[in-house]
Amino acid sequence: MQTAPGPIVEIDSVTKRYVRTVALDDISFDVAENELFALLGPNGAGKTTLIEILCTIQRGDKGSVQIAGLDVAKQSREVRKRLGVVFQEPSLDTRLTVAENLDFHGRIYGVPASVRRRRKEELLELVELAGWRDRLVRTLSKGMQRRLEIARALIHDARLLVLDEPTVGLDAQTRSRIWEYLRTLQQEREITVLVTTHYIDEVEDCDRLCIIDQGRVLALDTPQGLKNRYGYHLLRLTPQDEEVRHELRHRFGEALAERGKDLVMAAPEAEALKLIEELGDKLKAFFVERPSLESVFLSLTGYEVRDEVAGARERLLEFGRRGGEHTQ
Amino acid sequence: MGYLSGIYAIWLRELKRAVRDRGQLVGGVSRPLLWVLIMGIGLNPYFRGEVYGEVRFVVPFTYLQFIFPAVIALNMMYTSVQSAVSVIWDREFGFLREVLVSPMPRAAVLFGKILGGTTVALFHGILVLVLARFADVTFSPTAWLKGLGLMILLGFALTSLGVVIANRVRTFEGFGVFSNAVILPLYFTSSSIFPLDPSLTRAQTVVIYPDWLVFLIQANPITYAVDALRGVFLDFNQFHPLWGPLLLLAMCLVFFLAALRDFRRA
Repeated sequence: MQTAPGPIVEIDSVTKRYVRTVALDDISFDVAENELFALLGPNGAGKTTLIEILCTIQRGDKGSVQIAGLDVAKQSREVRKRLGVVFQEPSLDTRLTVAENLDFHGRIYGVPASVRRRRKEELLELVELAGWRDRLVRTLSKGMQRRLEIARALIHDARLLVLDEPTVGLDAQTRSRIWEYLRTLQQEREITVLVTTHYIDEVEDCDRLCIIDQGRVLALDTPQGLKNRYGYHLLRLTPQDEEVRHELRHRFGEALAERGKDLVMAAPEAEALKLIEELGDKLKAFFVERPSLESVFLSLTGYEVRDEVAGARERLLEFGRRGGEHTQ
Repeated sequence: MGYLSGIYAIWLRELKRAVRDRGQLVGGVSRPLLWVLIMGIGLNPYFRGEVYGEVRFVVPFTYLQFIFPAVIALNMMYTSVQSAVSVIWDREFGFLREVLVSPMPRAAVLFGKILGGTTVALFHGILVLVLARFADVTFSPTAWLKGLGLMILLGFALTSLGVVIANRVRTFEGFGVFSNAVILPLYFTSSSIFPLDPSLTRAQTVVIYPDWLVFLIQANPITYAVDALRGVFLDFNQFHPLWGPLLLLAMCLVFFLAALRDFRRA
């Protein structure tokens, strides 16, 4: 196949409005060929709308999107042939078997039978479902169904694999397995992977990361690049008593977030260290975290959003504390 | 026609799902048994009049023979509407998206789906034909073929109609609603269980049906489908024999186009 030079996805000032809300507000960015690209944003940031425009299900009000040099709105059929999609909501036929779902997909994409058979085996092997070939999909766990959907999206010659929140609702172990598959696929089959998520801890290993919120691109870089540019040291303080807590709250106001007994705030390194020194005795314990993507997100989107992200993470940790099955 | 394999895939999926749906199979077998063997045999003696002390059939057939072609239509109605209703499941459970982001044009997707429903309905129609000898209905191989042709048209029209209805249903309360609101009314007003004109013999010239009932029957397209099946299997028509096939063709076309229009918009 002829590879078009330049980026595989070109999004140029795309805007999409719903009746009251602006889902996408003049979004532009490119995704390079053969890259593992993550789109990170809180729920309602506009990720799904953007994905739906990429997948030709929806149209933007303004702007243009090109995939492999083809216009998504005007050449949608051609675009679809080059696109593998995994939606947020499962879209398997649960009354068919694993193999039948893959065959169905191959046929509607017009994949020749011999190619279909070979790919089917390869992909089932990759997502570790080879032993489940003839099981009805409804007998599979949620995580296995997700893996099957990823395999299915690649039965045809997809050059771009788009996944919308593929790890939502899955346990930690399955989540990290799915990211392993994506990395393997991207490297071995030389495809481009575009994945959305609202779990910060997942995107550490992607090639480039785009943070969006309220329909706008806030930042786009490699994870390390983002940390260097926007990262803050994160301070977690446990006050000695209520009086100190009150004092701190009064002094920093909105900049300070409560996490159970602790208070959390972001600060540049020098300021963080100075503050620890100054507060010293008034604290029962303190904890300084080096710049992480969480702190990048924090400084870009503000506390409110961080709350939600931490919320998801804390729920997971809580699950682990209760002795969740896959926690180590 | 690069989409043949896709249409085949969608058709095959419909068939596989139907075969795995035990409930549908049970209905497909028990319905003809109940209608033909119980209702047909039970009402058989009442389907005749007395002329000068001589007992004659109102129409020159037993009741069992009379309703037999209508039961074919009934069994097919249930099946095709049921497969059409799976459009709602596909929408609710997300499977529709898998098809909508594929390179298949929507017309081909819909065509495959309706063809699948037609095939399953045809199979359920044949289930009734198996009972023909118990109903004393005998027909030639040519009638067989003509009958199959009509049944394919009927299945296609009904499945398309089912899709049109399914596309308009936003909340789904189960199949019972469909059977009560669509299938049974259409069935009962299609001159399926009684002839349109009760005064076919002199003894009964005094009996006429109310105008509204006659109107309903004449306005119901299924009436002509049932009439066409009777024409083929019993050689008995209440209307001009061309009406049935022509109306069936028209129904296929109109309902399919209506379904396509909705499907493109969805």
